[in-house]
Amino acid sequence: MYRLFIVLFFGIILTSCNSDIDAGEFVVGSDNLSVNNKVILIDTATVEVSTINFDSLVTSGQSRILLGNYDDPIFGKVSSDSYFQLSSSSYNLQTTSSDTEGANYVFDSIRMVLLPDKYYYGDTTQVQSISIHRLLQKVKQNAENEENFYNNSSLSYDAVSLGSTSFRPKPLKQDSVFVKIDDVFGNALFQKLKKREITTQDEFLEYFKGLVIRSTSANTTSILGFRTTSLLQLYYSKSVTDSKTSILKEFTIDDISKQFNRISLDRTGTIVKDLPGTTGRLSSNLTENKSFIQSGTGLACRIDFPSIKELKYITEKGAIVDAQLIIRPVKDTYSKRYPLVDSLNIYVADQLNRIGSTLKSASGNSIYAILNKSNDEFDENIGYSIPLGTFIQNEMTKQSDSKSALILTIPTISKGVERLVLGNQKNSGNKVQLKIYYISY
Amino acid sequence: MKSKIALIFFLISVSFSSFSQSLSSSPYSIYGLGSLYDSDFGSLPAIGSSGVALPSNRFINNLNPASLGFTYQNHFLFDVGGTGIQTSYQDVSRKESRNNVQFSHIAFAFPLNTKSAFSVALKPYSSAGFKISDYKLPIQDSNEEYTLSATGTGGLNNFDISYGYRIGKKLSLGLSTSVLFGSTKDAREYVISNSVTTIDKESSYNGLRLDLGGQFKVDSTFTIGVNLKSPAKINATKVQSVMTYNSGLEATNTIETDAHSDVDDYFMPFEFAVGINKQFKNNLSVTMDYEKAFWESVNQADMYGNYLNQDKFKLGFTYRKEDKLRSYFDRIQFSTGLNYDTGFLEIDNKRIENKAISFGVSLPIENTFSMLNISYSYGQRARISNGLIKENYHKISLNLSLDGIWFVKRKFE
Repeated sequence: MYRLFIVLFFGIILTSCNSDIDAGEFVVGSDNLSVNNKVILIDTATVEVSTINFDSLVTSGQSRILLGNYDDPIFGKVSSDSYFQLSSSSYNLQTTSSDTEGANYVFDSIRMVLLPDKYYYGDTTQVQSISIHRLLQKVKQNAENEENFYNNSSLSYDAVSLGSTSFRPKPLKQDSVFVKIDDVFGNALFQKLKKREITTQDEFLEYFKGLVIRSTSANTTSILGFRTTSLLQLYYSKSVTDSKTSILKEFTIDDISKQFNRISLDRTGTIVKDLPGTTGRLSSNLTENKSFIQSGTGLACRIDFPSIKELKYITEKGAIVDAQLIIRPVKDTYSKRYPLVDSLNIYVADQLNRIGSTLKSASGNSIYAILNKSNDEFDENIGYSIPLGTFIQNEMTKQSDSKSALILTIPTISKGVERLVLGNQKNSGNKVQLKIYYISY
Repeated sequence: MKSKIALIFFLISVSFSSFSQSLSSSPYSIYGLGSLYDSDFGSLPAIGSSGVALPSNRFINNLNPASLGFTYQNHFLFDVGGTGIQTSYQDVSRKESRNNVQFSHIAFAFPLNTKSAFSVALKPYSSAGFKISDYKLPIQDSNEEYTLSATGTGGLNNFDISYGYRIGKKLSLGLSTSVLFGSTKDAREYVISNSVTTIDKESSYNGLRLDLGGQFKVDSTFTIGVNLKSPAKINATKVQSVMTYNSGLEATNTIETDAHSDVDDYFMPFEFAVGINKQFKNNLSVTMDYEKAFWESVNQADMYGNYLNQDKFKLGFTYRKEDKLRSYFDRIQFSTGLNYDTGFLEIDNKRIENKAISFGVSLPIENTFSMLNISYSYGQRARISNGLIKENYHKISLNLSLDGIWFVKRKFE
């Protein structure tokens, strides 16, 4: 009988499982835990920072009329003029029941209406002066297969101003800016329409090729954006006596690809005066350990990792699991007037600054450099961080000798003038940092 | 007769099925081949695991193969056991209790003739069960941290074949071959910056160790025993998969999949044990053992930890009324023992010591040498200090020692 008891007893003991859950909170020998799999942070790899210059940024089709100029304390004099072609939905005057009535129309006035789009950069407290000129050339590229206009494109225009104005910008709450246009020009255009000398778009463009709005006064301190729905308004009325029944003819920027901004930078005497051509680079070692990015004018920051392949030799078996580049804006180069942008675009480029694509995550999403805004007393934490794990791992294991570089730009590169000054590895206090997390296995 | 065979088979099958179970988990199992088991047979757990000088007459003495030289003829011995352990883990700030029930061993011994016997035994050698959750570790040369979670499972088993031969009446010599085999699994997850890396590793081990023993009966009440264990190399290989995921880059990267490689072999040192057994008045028996393992002389790879020479002191007392008494209760054997082990692991410059006190009763089964041995021991391992965890454990061992005279007797029915 008790033999059966023994059997049951042992049976229960031997088949019962461990019922207790080990929460895993007790750990001994932390030194031993890292013997097989060492986790290393490498932050001594060389990072070369330089400034490059894209000489032609497409500025047509950006849906912004960028006007103004300002003297940047670091970059030099920035200015933007805007060129565009106007057209109308129809080229006849108001249709009337009788032809005789049409003969009574008289020209009243013509004006340019600029609608602010709230974009501004610089000090907007100073008066802006603009001047409007008639283009002598159609808004059309000479070369075949070339439809774009660039930040350095220009068209010839009549030196005589059709109209000008000065105003104090209030970018966030400003109403439209009205510029009275020369009556002689207005009346001539009106007569062309009235006499039905212009009835088609081609005829119209042959006569009136477009406008350029230029920023004139030398002491302007800001650059402003206006919408491409800005328009030219021509007023006329039935007869000389009947001025109350004013009729409006509008000319708009119908095709935004026929609008572009010429954005220029006069770097004379500045730290970036020696920028080489598109395929070259200006080492940050020669520019006070700083690199420069400016939208609109084509300045961009290039980052090279010359010694990345040497990481292969750290251990026999290891992998980069994460890498981060933290690039910091140089203190005192930004302010409320010249604020830091929230993110930067990142492109992968070859030795001649030819861009392949944006830096992408594995699922194909573009990766951005994101600004860490958490302020501390000395702004030490302010910096743009870029997740670089795959890029670094690929660069490290790549068979060929070619090395890729990263190019940083501000997202508004084609339609703004924001700028940024970044530190290199020797820039004390604003040092660029490459952190590579490595595990041996 | 059939029911007896069925019983033995039942025990064997249960034993083997429990062999594959997840074994106990101790934080110290991350070292070496895992935490080592004391799988002692018969009433040995009750006498502090001492008994190098005890004969294999009433049970199989696994401490010394020479003991098989004193096995009674016509007695077939069978031993199976299990232990239940409740351990409380305690560090500076926390305490946690865990229970574990564990197969201990299964063994047979056959006398070949009046002078020699042979035995086979299967028992767990070590358990590599441990768990680490979200443990923060510093990244080398930086002020940053990474987080490690890990689970270890598996362990090694030990299969022994032993032979003992008695020369004359007083001296017996024995030889045992231990085959160590098994595998451990180690799944680790590293959270480093924005990445998660998993390293799954299965390590397989196998090796052979020889064990030489001797026992000498000075007189009918006094025996001395000695046991020597050879150094051994346990071959190790691993199969590993490494994968990493980076959330910033949404990238999964398989670095290696089921990659076979050799790893540093594990070395076991030369060990010796000496012991005495003295009977007083034919009912009190005292056993005393001393063991030493020369871990410092083996060139152990860093991955297994730091090793120190190990000393063990064991003491046991057994009391039983004289054999002739017929009352069941008079035939119950009572035991107690002490065990002190300096340990061989050094962690943060501290030894992982173990000390235990044990008590036990051996309940006779029928009118044979068969016994059910129940022992209780209380022990402490390591101590509370920075980086160490103290383990307090209550251990109950149940060893069933069956004597094959059962069968012989039935034959005459």
